[in-house]
Amino acid sequence: MTNEELSRNSSLLRSSTIGLGVCALLWAWFVWRAPIDSMQGPIQKILYVHVPCVLGAYLGFALTAASGALYLWRRDERWDRLAAACAEVGVFFCTLVLLTGPIWAKGTWGRWWTWDLRLTLTLLLYLVYVSYLLLRSFTEGSERAARFGAVYAIAGLAVVPLNYFAIDLAGGRTVHPENLGRGSLGAGMGLPLALGMLTAVMAFAYLLVRRLEVSELRAALDRAQADAARSEM
Amino acid sequence: MNALLAVLWKDLVSEWRSRDRLVAMGVFALLVVVVLYLAAPPGAGPEARAHVPGLLWVAYLFAGVLGLNRAFATELENEALSLLALAPVERGFIFLGKALASFALLLVVEAATAVAFALAFDLDLWPVAGRLALVAALGAAGLCSLGTLFSAIAVRTQYREVMLPLLLLPLLVPVLLGAVRATNALLLEGTLPWPALQLLLVTDGVFGIVSFLTFEVVLDE
Repeated sequence: MTNEELSRNSSLLRSSTIGLGVCALLWAWFVWRAPIDSMQGPIQKILYVHVPCVLGAYLGFALTAASGALYLWRRDERWDRLAAACAEVGVFFCTLVLLTGPIWAKGTWGRWWTWDLRLTLTLLLYLVYVSYLLLRSFTEGSERAARFGAVYAIAGLAVVPLNYFAIDLAGGRTVHPENLGRGSLGAGMGLPLALGMLTAVMAFAYLLVRRLEVSELRAALDRAQADAARSEM
Repeated sequence: MNALLAVLWKDLVSEWRSRDRLVAMGVFALLVVVVLYLAAPPGAGPEARAHVPGLLWVAYLFAGVLGLNRAFATELENEALSLLALAPVERGFIFLGKALASFALLLVVEAATAVAFALAFDLDLWPVAGRLALVAALGAAGLCSLGTLFSAIAVRTQYREVMLPLLLLPLLVPVLLGAVRATNALLLEGTLPWPALQLLLVTDGVFGIVSFLTFEVVLDE
């Protein structure tokens, strides 16, 4: 990486950090100002964190499987780096989903967890992608890890519709609130949620780019070490 | 097709000569049944016995994972796995041969475990034996198809014995739920619900196709 590229990267990093920070502050402000729900009270405000994080988690998992499939097709390691980065960022967002959800549930349903269809599906998907990351870290050789990871990510996504039917069949009661439709939110609640979604997408992209930079630097270091070892021989 | 039969025959003959996997799986399944009985002894009423069919599947699942862990371990000796990968045949058929061998072994272990389970939990399985065998076979097919694919992956990672259950169990939920629901209805009501069988059939189909197609890439070295 040349000095010019480095300085361009650091100015990009600065401006994207500032952009994300401004968006997050605006979102926090509107969440603070949003009206208190008449039924649930202040705990309803977790919605503005929980739902955007769901978007980040599902985006991450879907992109992991898609990038894995593209890696198997093109055998270009850049697709694999993208898949690994998406999985890590997706697991991060899903962790937030699984932390914020029970806090809301304890306040509203009176219990931390219930084996509801949507909760169970999300937990299973989370476990699949945590296993995906473990598989990658326990496999030696980047090419082998890429292949194994891609196969596992594709199989993991193929199971989602089957899990849906299986849990439905097993009588997993759906107590989770329905998808947010037009008019299902009270007045003044739409804007903070929309800003939350925007912040989540920006945070997703920000973390993804940072993570990709790290893996590219790591790959460059590996190449440099291999070159140095060759020249010594 | 010849490759399928050759791999299946090789695996069954080598198992017949050593009987390592079969004995290990059988003894382990028996131990699981004993541990489950001691940990969760069923009461007398139908309410208290409602969880019993699920326990049978816990024993099947653990024995299956133990056997699948060994499915490719023997292929690592003398670089046999590399030679399998070099064979000029469709690799999907190698997968089918390995999966069918594991399936056959698991069926034997399942039958023996069912007898031990019936004795331990005081169940009369004889009137539903045929239908229970069908459910056990459908569950074993799903377990062995995905299990064989992941066994080929896990055997070439660090901590290989730990890796297989970590990879397999989160994806086996549809098989487990379908099989437990069907076994529950069979043992408690004497009926076989079609939706549960449908789920098992579809899951077996999806797992079989995904594993057949991706095995090619897994063996690529």
